[in-house]
Amino acid sequence: MKKEITKYYPLIPVFAAYLLLFLIGRNISGMWQLVAMLLFYCALGQAFNIFLGMTGYVDFGYVAFMGIGTYGMALAITKLAHIEGLGIGIIIIGFILALLMSTLLSVAVGAVALRLRGAYFAIATIGVNEGFRFLIEGARIWNGSEGLIFTAQLNEILGREAASSLMTYWADIMVLIIAALAAFVTLYYMRSKIGYALTALREDEDAAKVMGINVTKYKIIAFITSACFAGLVGATSWALKTPYVFPPEVFEIHYTIEAIIIVLLGGAGTLLGPVAGGLIYGISKYYLAIFMPGFQLLIFAPIIIIIIVLFPEGVVGMLKYRLKDSALARFII
Amino acid sequence: MPLLKLENVTKRFGGLTAVNHVSLEIDHGEFIGIVGPNGSGKTTLFNVISGVYFPEEGSVIFDDLDITLLPPYKRAPLGIGRTFQIPRPFGSASVRENIAVGAMFGTLSGKVSVDESLQIADQTIERVRLQEHRDKPAGTLTPVEKKLMEIARALAMKPKLLLMDEAMAGMHPNDIDQMVAFIKQIAVEEKIAIVSMVEHIMRAVVGMAEKVIVLHQGSKIVDAPTKEALEDPKVVEVYLGHPPEE
Repeated sequence: MKKEITKYYPLIPVFAAYLLLFLIGRNISGMWQLVAMLLFYCALGQAFNIFLGMTGYVDFGYVAFMGIGTYGMALAITKLAHIEGLGIGIIIIGFILALLMSTLLSVAVGAVALRLRGAYFAIATIGVNEGFRFLIEGARIWNGSEGLIFTAQLNEILGREAASSLMTYWADIMVLIIAALAAFVTLYYMRSKIGYALTALREDEDAAKVMGINVTKYKIIAFITSACFAGLVGATSWALKTPYVFPPEVFEIHYTIEAIIIVLLGGAGTLLGPVAGGLIYGISKYYLAIFMPGFQLLIFAPIIIIIIVLFPEGVVGMLKYRLKDSALARFII
Repeated sequence: MPLLKLENVTKRFGGLTAVNHVSLEIDHGEFIGIVGPNGSGKTTLFNVISGVYFPEEGSVIFDDLDITLLPPYKRAPLGIGRTFQIPRPFGSASVRENIAVGAMFGTLSGKVSVDESLQIADQTIERVRLQEHRDKPAGTLTPVEKKLMEIARALAMKPKLLLMDEAMAGMHPNDIDQMVAFIKQIAVEEKIAIVSMVEHIMRAVVGMAEKVIVLHQGSKIVDAPTKEALEDPKVVEVYLGHPPEE
């Protein structure tokens, strides 16, 4: 039994970081906005890491899963608002719908795109994201390019005050919970057969096959899991925090790129990496925009390049290597 | 009943026939050398047996089961293990984890837990004497150590047939003798049939194989006991160029 617990030690630094963020946000005035942004980036990184980090496949269409999750929540609220007495239950339905829709989309995309490898997979996924966005706009699905706006419905269902505290506070807490959950699932996968299979196929897919690993199965498991978390992040960070959804905003490839940077900065395939990456990325972006408005990207880009060149395995990848013989080693993976 | 039976197997790549109507039989626990110059179709034949390629013609029967069109990940658990010419470790994973993967996915029941697999890995590591490298990333091993690790990884799968692709290539003669002795020992202990593919290190073939199959331009030209095969004039002509020294 004790051994079972020690297996989960690496969650301690992850959860400690989230707790620290939460405390800073609660107790230092004016910090909540930054904390909320950092939580979003950490959750995004943690979710994407399950696929990108563990399989080594780069999905450039990842934001599509956040987008579809956002739509899941938006549809639940707009379509079910007229039902009396749902109350907070409507948000639970929204989460379920977000999960369902991101699962369906990831199965559809995965079944086709995961047959491809390397650059071909990456290109195919860009197509999926853009194609999906134009499908929604062109075929006028879910109100097309006019999007869905549901501030009024939220106010009506929850009451003005509760709706406002949902948008400014509780949505961020939910992002924190999603990020923590994603970290837990990541570690659970790492410690199970799934993790071994994913490591093997990331390192050498053909060798993994002749070792008896059904690589397609494990890739799809990672893909769907990662997509589900993306859907949840979208449903909270984008739908509950800002109660509207427009296709060009939620299918913006920019967020995929940010997610890739966060995972690589922190250390792909590590547990703590997305947290470190999310913090480094979010904090630099935030303060550079304050202190050097207009020049932030000019400074930001070299910082990212320097970190990647110095630590090709990511910050946590480097830490893991440096600390591998110390007592801290079992906390950092 | 032979363990592995190839019937008239042909594999083409466009206009090139890499393996041309090859039939062969391998018995349980048998030690066979597949010999042939570069481009003779050895690796393709291995790939057909392990499922990387499907043949255009002919059939592959393993343990009385037609596996001609079975995907590779389903063949490994039946008892087909293999090592690669250029070792292909899962580089970032430790030696122990690499070997555990073999036990985890390469056994028939498919019910070996992670902890059990790691235990099997520890036992197997001792057999190949890689204890001191146990927790190193496999990518950091020397080439010889990588080959040993691959053998251990395959052994953890409890194979009935082990396909070894150029296990001795690039090794020092002393290492080759050690490796030959080691492989012979495990083959006997575990009753594994071993098919070892060799391009030019005759020392290894003579040292261990009971039978030699010689491939030339995709076709089987000789299938005979080792000594006989290597003295066959056809082999001498297409392959060795001069008679082998005693």
